[in-house]
Amino acid sequence: MSAPAIDLRGVWKGFHDARRDQTVIAVEDVSFSVGRGEFVCVLGPSGCGKSTLLRILAGLDRQDLGEVAVKGHASVVFQEHGVFPWLSVEDNVGYPLKVRGAGRAERRRRVGPLLELTGLTDFRGAYPHQLSGGMRQRTSVARALADDGEILLMDEPFGALDEQTRLVLQQELLRIWQDSGKSVVFITHSVDEALTLADRVLVMSARPGRILADVPVPFGRPRDILELRRDPRYGEITYELWRLLRQGAATASAGAVPTGPDASPASPAGPPGAPAGRGTPPSPPSEVRTP
Amino acid sequence: MSTPASREALVRRLRDERSGRAARIAGPFTPILLLVVWEVASRSGLLDARFFPPPTSIVGTFADLVAAGTLQTHALATLSRVGVGLVLGAVPGLLLGIALGAVPVLRALFGPIFASLLPIPKIAILPLLLLIFGLGEASKWVIVAIGVFFYVFYNTMGGVLQTQPIYFDVAKSSGAGRWRTWSTVALPAALPSVFTGLKLSVGGAFVIIAASEFVGSRTGIGYLIWSAWGTLSVAKMYVGIVTISLLGYLAGLLVGLLERRLVPWSRQ
Ligand SMILES: Nc1ncnc2c1ncn2[C@@H]1O[C@H](COP(=O)(O)OP(=O)(O)O)[C@@H](O)[C@H]1O
Ligand SMILES: [Mg+2]
Repeated sequence: MSAPAIDLRGVWKGFHDARRDQTVIAVEDVSFSVGRGEFVCVLGPSGCGKSTLLRILAGLDRQDLGEVAVKGHASVVFQEHGVFPWLSVEDNVGYPLKVRGAGRAERRRRVGPLLELTGLTDFRGAYPHQLSGGMRQRTSVARALADDGEILLMDEPFGALDEQTRLVLQQELLRIWQDSGKSVVFITHSVDEALTLADRVLVMSARPGRILADVPVPFGRPRDILELRRDPRYGEITYELWRLLRQGAATASAGAVPTGPDASPASPAGPPGAPAGRGTPPSPPSEVRTP
Repeated sequence: MSTPASREALVRRLRDERSGRAARIAGPFTPILLLVVWEVASRSGLLDARFFPPPTSIVGTFADLVAAGTLQTHALATLSRVGVGLVLGAVPGLLLGIALGAVPVLRALFGPIFASLLPIPKIAILPLLLLIFGLGEASKWVIVAIGVFFYVFYNTMGGVLQTQPIYFDVAKSSGAGRWRTWSTVALPAALPSVFTGLKLSVGGAFVIIAASEFVGSRTGIGYLIWSAWGTLSVAKMYVGIVTISLLGYLAGLLVGLLERRLVPWSRQ
C-alpha cells in the first residue's frame, strides 16, 4: 500500500482558560493513519475532542504535541456548516474556486455538475435563509467537493438532520466518495452512521479524547445502507462499539479534571480483534506539521 | 374545491403578501398625514398659529422661493455638502472599521484613539474647522465627514466583530489570503451593520450641516432658516425646515433602496 493520506503520531491538544485557571485536555495522545481512498469514521460522545481533532487535521488549529502529516489539500465540511448567508447557493459552492481566482465561466462549468449531484440545481439562485437545513448541509458538502481536496474532512455533517434526510445524504455521500477516490475522515457521534459509512471506525473515549479502538467494518462496497442493517454482523459490531463507548465513558470519569499529561489514566489497549492502525509501515509523509 | 384551483389561489395570495403592495405604496406618503393633522390643529386654534402656521399658508412662501430659484440653490448647496461629506466619511469609516474589526492588533493599538474622539460633539469643532479650512465648502465637507465616519466606523467594526468565526474558518480552509478574507467574509458579514451606520449617518449629516450653515455659511438650507429668524419670517423658516427634513427623508429612502439591492440576504 502507498503512503497514508493522513498520519498522526502522539497528538495532544489542550485549552487553557486563564480566567478560571483551568486546563482542558481535548485530545490526548492520538495516533492513527488513514490510507489513501479510505473512509474512516471517528466515533465518540459529544465534547470528547472530535472537532478539535478535525480542526488540527484541517490546519485550522495547531496541536500542542505530536506530529501531524496530511498529504495534499484537505476540504472541510464544518459541523455548523458555515454556509455564507450573503451568497447564493451557487456562489457558496463556487467560493473555493473564486478564492483561487477562477473566472465566472469556469466556476459555472464546475459548479453545475456539483449542484446536480447534490440535488440543488433548482435552488442555485436561492439564499441560505430560504433553504431547509438539509439543503444548507448539501450546499456545504457541495462546496467541499468544489474545493476538491484529495482529503475530505467532515464534522458531523448530518448531525442536525432528521433520520430520513440523513439516510439519503449518507447514500449519496458514499456514491460520491466511491467515484472520487478521496480519503475521508468523517466525524460522528452515531454508531449507526459510523457503521453505515466507514471502512474503519476509530472509537474515542469521553474527554480527554483518546483513541480506544480501531475497528474494521466488514461490509463490502458498494453498500446498500438499508440491506446492511439486515446483516447479522451489523448487530454484533453495534454491540461492540457501544461496549467500547461505555468503557470510554467509565475510564474518563475515573480520571476526571485532567490537569496535565501525568494525571491522565493509562489508555486501555483496543480489543484483540482491533489492531491500532493497519499494520502498514508509514512511509515518510510529504508534509509534517509539528507544533 | 379542486386542488389546482386552490393551489393557484394560494400562490397568488403568497405573491401578493410577499410584495405587501398596499403598505409599500402607502408607506412613503404617511408623513402627509402628519401635515393634515397639523393643518387642522392650527386652523382650529389647538396650535398657536403665530409659531405653527397652517402648512397651506406656507405654500405661498414656498412657491415664491421656488420661483426666485432661491430654494433650489440652497437645497442644492446643502445636498452637495451632505453628499460629499457622506462619501468622505463613509469610505474611511468602512475601511478602518473592517481593518480594526478583523485585526486584533490594530484594534488594540488604535481603538482607544477613536474611542476618545467619539464623545466630542462634532459641531463643537466647527470653529476650528472654519479656521483651518475657511468659510468655503471644505469645512462643511469635513465636518459632515467626521460625523459620518464615526457612525460607519463603529457599526462596521461591530459587524465584523460579530461575524461567526466559522466563516473565517471556511475562508481559511478554502485557501483565502488576508485580502480575500476581508473582501469575501469580513466585508459582506459587516454589510448589514454598515447600512445601519449609513442610515444613522444620513440623519446625523443633516443635523450637522444645518447647524454648520447657521453660522459658517451664506448658502444652504441651514442659512435659509437662520436668516429667516433674523427677519422674523416664520413662514420662510418653515419652508426651510420642511425642505431639509424632506431631503433627509429622501436620502434615507435612497440608502434603504441601496440596502435592498446590496444586502438581499438580510430579511428586510
Ligand atoms: N477554542 C476552545 N477553547 C477552549 N476550549 C475548547 C475550545 N475548543 C474546544 N474546547 C474544549 O475541548 C473539548 C472538546 O471539544 P470538541 O472538540 O468541540 O468536542 P466534540 O467535537 O467531540 O463535541 C470540550 O471540552 C471543549 O469545551
Ligand atoms: Mg464537534
